[in-house]
Amino acid sequence: MLSPDVLLKFISIVGPERCRTSREDLLAYSYDAYVNEFLPDAVLLPKNTAEVAEIMKVASAQNVFVTPRGAGSGLGSGSLAKQGGVVLTFSMMNRIVEINTANRYAVVEPGVVIGEFQRAVEKLNLFYPPDPGSANVATMGGSVVMNAGGMRGVKYGVTRDYVLGLEVVLPSGEVMQTGAVTAKDVTGYDLTRLICGSEGTLALVTKVIVRLLPKPKTKRTLQAIYNRLDEAGNTVARIIEAGIIPATLELMDKTIIKSLEDFLHLGLPLDAAAVLLIDVDGEPETVEKQANRVAEFCKSQGARDVRVSQSEKENEQLWVARRAAFGAIARVRPTCIIEDATVPVSLLASAIKKILEVGERNRVQIAVLAHAGDGNLHPFFLCDHRDKEEMARVERAMDELVDYAMSVGGTLSGEHGIGIAKSKYLPRQLSPASLNLMRGIKKTFDPQGILNPGSFLEHRA
Amino acid sequence: MIAKELKEEVYKCIKCGICLTPCPVYNLLRFEGASPRGRVQLIKKILEGKTELSENFQSLLFTCLLCETCTANCPSGLKTDRLMKAMRAEIQERLGPEWQKRTLGNFLGDKRRLPFFLFCERTRESLLSSPEGKSDLLADFEFPRPGCKALRQQVPEVNPAPEAKGKVLYFTGCATNYFYPDVGKSVIKVLNRLGMEVILPRGQMCCGLPLFQAGGRKKALKNIRENLKLFNRKDVDAVVVDCAACGAALKKEYAHILEEMGEDATPAKELAKKVVDISQILARTDLEKWLKPVPQRVTYHDPCRLGRSQGVKEEPRNLLRRIPGLELVEMAGAETCCGGGAALPWEHPELASGISRNKVQSIRETRATVVASGCPWCRRQIGENLDQDSIRVLHPVELIAEALGDT
Repeated sequence: MLSPDVLLKFISIVGPERCRTSREDLLAYSYDAYVNEFLPDAVLLPKNTAEVAEIMKVASAQNVFVTPRGAGSGLGSGSLAKQGGVVLTFSMMNRIVEINTANRYAVVEPGVVIGEFQRAVEKLNLFYPPDPGSANVATMGGSVVMNAGGMRGVKYGVTRDYVLGLEVVLPSGEVMQTGAVTAKDVTGYDLTRLICGSEGTLALVTKVIVRLLPKPKTKRTLQAIYNRLDEAGNTVARIIEAGIIPATLELMDKTIIKSLEDFLHLGLPLDAAAVLLIDVDGEPETVEKQANRVAEFCKSQGARDVRVSQSEKENEQLWVARRAAFGAIARVRPTCIIEDATVPVSLLASAIKKILEVGERNRVQIAVLAHAGDGNLHPFFLCDHRDKEEMARVERAMDELVDYAMSVGGTLSGEHGIGIAKSKYLPRQLSPASLNLMRGIKKTFDPQGILNPGSFLEHRA
Repeated sequence: MIAKELKEEVYKCIKCGICLTPCPVYNLLRFEGASPRGRVQLIKKILEGKTELSENFQSLLFTCLLCETCTANCPSGLKTDRLMKAMRAEIQERLGPEWQKRTLGNFLGDKRRLPFFLFCERTRESLLSSPEGKSDLLADFEFPRPGCKALRQQVPEVNPAPEAKGKVLYFTGCATNYFYPDVGKSVIKVLNRLGMEVILPRGQMCCGLPLFQAGGRKKALKNIRENLKLFNRKDVDAVVVDCAACGAALKKEYAHILEEMGEDATPAKELAKKVVDISQILARTDLEKWLKPVPQRVTYHDPCRLGRSQGVKEEPRNLLRRIPGLELVEMAGAETCCGGGAALPWEHPELASGISRNKVQSIRETRATVVASGCPWCRRQIGENLDQDSIRVLHPVELIAEALGDT
């Protein structure tokens, strides 16, 4: 509980409207897109860096826990007040400060929704590639501290590859700049990339500088349709092996196809076992050639049909569908826990096989989605969190899957982060030396441990 | 009580957050409790008995426009708007309606008292005034000036057409009847010209939508039953509405409400089959030969109650395109709510006009001279916020009537 004194101090900074403490407000900030819920003691909605700095000065002086939050679309309770205290949400810091066309960079506040930013730069013929499935929900700030990946990872990399610099507020309330607007910068330790992916444990990001690319001239979306899931998986490995780099390479199994078709009625093939959704982009002539090559390739690997979208609108619809996959799956079961273990892409087909085995053994319904091109699996564990026995089986299945990913040189989490969802697995991937060093870094930034307490580093087995 | 099947709806929310960005209210207020996801999660907590129905929750619930954008965008198909409406009714049941709403209910629910009420509003002697002054419910709400005579007083009950080829009932709705009788006259004129006899059944009541959107379902039952009795006639080809809100009520809401209240919904479903928006019935006719040029640049705004509630989007546009000389220009975000939904301009006038600002901006950018929209509440809200502009807000059928000329 916060003392009335502390609350008054917060109110004096942001005003009563933006310091919310009603039962309803606390409940509305007690969840993200994962299953766990934690009630904060107050919700603060600052409008600028100065307010954030003032808040942190009060918080550090009074030892108040602060957990940053973007849009609450995370999948591991990262933005929840796991040990109470304040949730500091950036939804009101949502201005695009600058889009610099001459030097191809942009400066944004953390609460800008990724998709809105993408559309804004695309109007100027520029391109911001990081594209998590939740791009129309998630914020730029959230995607930076989670180092979000997404659908274009296979060709364009992840958020980290585009962040040039940050303005952050340290737990002490000091404001600090990292990085620069230039593409090259080797001045000192790379704090930008350290904070990127820190899951909100080191500092509060109040501005983000990202680099932009010229917008690809054309894009073509292909749907390769398979009667067998393993053939789709094999195709992915072969495409990558052959040196073709599509902009996106997504795999969806029949459960996902069906729930998306129920939602949008696009005429997706309901009788297929899997669909690969493939984007190729670039110069018109190259795109044409590459699309044909990919289509031929898919057919040679067993695709029964390859459909090429005929218009920008059709491209758009297919990607709207893909983005809705997580939400649409609730048509099948009320709870969906997404794994995001990532394996070397050559093992994709056997990893999918393993997923199905694990599901069967534990009697858990699993739908398979994958950012297949970079080996980033997204098995959806479909369940009902009200059923404790079922949830125990889900947990067992997850354990087995993590074991498998570790055994083949994969990673615990490709892009969703650890949060509390995977913190218990952390020691399986990180050595004691590595964990100690990370805890030391945390201590240097946040000696009092007031920023996002209860997050991944604090889990002790 | 909230119907059982609606209670299960809350478990369809996987909290993905796709409903946040498109929600006009969340976009402006920017806190989770004012988002569809936030409200659904709060409703879930209430249904699970984990939190109480509070005044604060009530006020959050009533920041919603019921524009159905969230329902249309929800990947898991959660009927968010139906849940909100049922919850509003539940609140009325449990907390009791605020007295102004109750008063409003008493008037909209009574065909004799309604004109009187409107007359009083016009003369600024509001019946909703409290001893301390005018009620805040209507303080900032500019009522459109009711015409001196209501439509149904101006025209006969039966409007025959020469060489009649069909017969339709016309549900005028309160707004057309009292505020925009010209829209009604246009409807009759156009349908007559197409050889349809138009009957305006005497005794028709307010469709009830303002009542049940505010949660007054029980109050609205009388309106629903009365209207079902009057309009469920076998001897007519269609029941025509010109108001998007009335159309949504007759086509969808009546059946939902009766079902959720455990009443027999068969008559409502019967009626729904015959109800058509004026743009739908005109789409099936060969109007062109009658139409003279109307040289205007027109943009079309989709009323939520017509576009999303009824799925009628193309018909009004095609209708306008058929008018020679008329140039139809699309505005950005034509489907976005104008801010006039679900009595928001009464409950939260600043929020409503904040939402209208974007709409007005999109309209201005088209450089249109006319905004066409088949909903009186959009018309009022847009018209009010266009304020200084010379842009006119009209019902598409008024443009058709203009194109038909005087003969």
